[in-house]
Amino acid sequence: MSKIRVFQSIEETRDCLGDQQYIAGDEIATTAYLAQQLGKPLLAEGPAGVGKTELAKALADSLDRPLIRLQCYEGLDETKALYEWEYAKQLLYTQLLRDQLQQTLAGARSLAEAADRLADEEDVFFSMRFLLQRPLLRAILSDEPVVLLIDEIDRADAEFEAFLLEVLSDFQVSVPELGTLTARQRPIVVLTSNNTRELSEALKRRCLYLFIGYPSREQELNVVRLKVPDLAPQMAQQVVELVQRLREMDLRKLPSISETLDWAQALVALNTENLDQKTLETTLSALLKHETDLRKVQRQLGRIDDDDEVDWDDELRRRGR
Amino acid sequence: MEERIVQFISALRSGGIRVSLAESADAFSAVENLGVQDRDTFRLSLRATLVKDLESLPTFEELFPLFFGSGEPPPLMNLMENLTEEEANILAEALRQFGQRLQDMLERLLRGEKLTPEELEALGQMVGLHHADDLRYREWMARRMQRALQFEQVREAMQEIMELMAQMGINKERLEQMRQLIAQNMDSLQERLRQYAGQRIAENMAEQRPEDALDELMEQPFHALSDSDMQKLRQEVRRLAALLRSRIALRQKRAKSGHLDAKATIRANLKHGGVPFQIKHRDRTVKPKLVVICDISTSMRHCSELMLSLLYELQDQVSKTHAFAFIDHLEYITPDFQGNRANEAIQQVLIRMPPGYYSTDLGHSLQNFADDYLDTIDQRTTLIVVGDGRNNYNDPRLDIFRKLAHRSSRTLWLNPEMPLLWGSGDSDMLEYVPLCDRVLQVSALSDLMAAVDQLLVEK
Repeated sequence: MSKIRVFQSIEETRDCLGDQQYIAGDEIATTAYLAQQLGKPLLAEGPAGVGKTELAKALADSLDRPLIRLQCYEGLDETKALYEWEYAKQLLYTQLLRDQLQQTLAGARSLAEAADRLADEEDVFFSMRFLLQRPLLRAILSDEPVVLLIDEIDRADAEFEAFLLEVLSDFQVSVPELGTLTARQRPIVVLTSNNTRELSEALKRRCLYLFIGYPSREQELNVVRLKVPDLAPQMAQQVVELVQRLREMDLRKLPSISETLDWAQALVALNTENLDQKTLETTLSALLKHETDLRKVQRQLGRIDDDDEVDWDDELRRRGR
Repeated sequence: MEERIVQFISALRSGGIRVSLAESADAFSAVENLGVQDRDTFRLSLRATLVKDLESLPTFEELFPLFFGSGEPPPLMNLMENLTEEEANILAEALRQFGQRLQDMLERLLRGEKLTPEELEALGQMVGLHHADDLRYREWMARRMQRALQFEQVREAMQEIMELMAQMGINKERLEQMRQLIAQNMDSLQERLRQYAGQRIAENMAEQRPEDALDELMEQPFHALSDSDMQKLRQEVRRLAALLRSRIALRQKRAKSGHLDAKATIRANLKHGGVPFQIKHRDRTVKPKLVVICDISTSMRHCSELMLSLLYELQDQVSKTHAFAFIDHLEYITPDFQGNRANEAIQQVLIRMPPGYYSTDLGHSLQNFADDYLDTIDQRTTLIVVGDGRNNYNDPRLDIFRKLAHRSSRTLWLNPEMPLLWGSGDSDMLEYVPLCDRVLQVSALSDLMAAVDQLLVEK
């Protein structure tokens, strides 16, 4: 049996994540390493598109573990997250096994005896065979260690959050018909939240907290170079420069790293050699997702580029007077 | 070290961060795992385990260097060492021009002597540092300590000495070098004072009992709330909202007493071969639509603000809220809330509508409402008025209020005054009461919470 792979140090964590094309800063590497060492879930918060989900994927890949993903949404409940009995299959089996059942029951002298005999066979129908495993149960029952990603937990209801507490603190669940199932291998759990609502104190208490914000200029440049190697270095510089400038503006949705990458890829696909006004206008929609933002930025950029002319106009007017 | 971490955690608590016992245990095991050799790793391991939301991060970053030193300020330089005899003489001559106290201080600076812990302690005593338990006082305390050391005079004296020495004929380059060294020494001393002030304040914070007065505050009448109380309550509102939310959600889940939903039942029971094991009911919970009219005159401001914050924390539980504020006339304030906290939004409104003396006029405001915003009320709307019903003897416009109450599905009045006082003086409350479906007295945050809870119950 092969040994389970674990990170030995923070540096190794960072390097392994780096091998998976995930550039982790000190914070991310330290917190990820701690999550593994302490066996605690990691709660990653931050704006959309800064690589929270990507972190879980990179962790799974670098540790050679399968990734089990639970996408949260409003109305998500236990039957979708944990387990469900496969009713149709149970029904089918009872139909097909009718003869056997009849044999079993044949010769019973009273109704009570027949019922007893049937009860003895009950286990057949409430066994793992008929249990439809949903992500959480899959993560718990998995023979090999996994990385469990609970994505966008802030979208799920408050009750679901409370239900998660049991799972996350003990890594066990109870199925009434089967008893308590305990994790064979403690999974590494990553929860992500876009911060659309406040998570409960109880949940936060059980997690390690990691805030992933927008990357710094250097980090972003590194990511762009790594993920879009076809983009000319000069252009990469310009792209990052502009995105960083946009983040300082008052926009409805600030572009995050995933949008930067989209844009960079778009520029590569269009074979752009330099960022002029025209390319900007046509490709900016990869970066900005709101009509109002788009117009605001176009106006702003136009103004900066036209600065000289505006000055001249003013000058002329002043002289005319 | 452990002691220090415990102190740090209690300082975090008194800084307003909730740190549970389990979390501090996590912090210790994290530190055990990663050690304390690398300061940055140590900081990150504490941060990941102790701080669980974005707003608390700045407090953490501010307190951390105060407990686990950000390194000493740059060491002080001794200038006296490498002076030639002649230069030393000139310096001694120049120094003689000043008073004894100043002279001592100057010599210390020149020799590069650090302040001893005892001296720092004495300085702190002198400026009352042991009473300070809020980091906002840090800069102020550091400045007071500088003043106690006569920093300004020393700086001026240094300037004079430099000029004197220049006159006495010291090498210009040398002099410039000395000037720079002295400036460095002074900066370093200043930094030391700042650090000391910060550390002391942080330690005071650590000794302070964490706030346990919140429960009392919940029961505190609105008019007796101070600004700092309001600050605490504002934070509390978010927690309360979460509490209310789960209560509401539970209630809605259990309240499936509606009619049989045939479609859903058939669909749900397909897996049982059409045998209806699971009965599905139609969900009857309708999210309420709210129109809130708030009195934001001085006497009512706290009450209205907390009410609005509560409602806005619960936006997901209602289908739509229109908020209005009035003193002498009415303003639509929902746009102010977009991206703002309730208190900031109310501040904005107050700038547009400065409170005068005795100018509250609900009658006129109701008229405004009927003129411009009547369409916000339909038969699904709950109308909420937060006010004390004191109209300054203006026309209460009961006719309009009756019309509004009639149009809305129900009308709720929240009044912080005791029922005993209703109708006394300029209060028109007793006249409004019969027109409302419910009138609740909300004199403290706990009442307010109960009122909002009521509001979201099915009628």
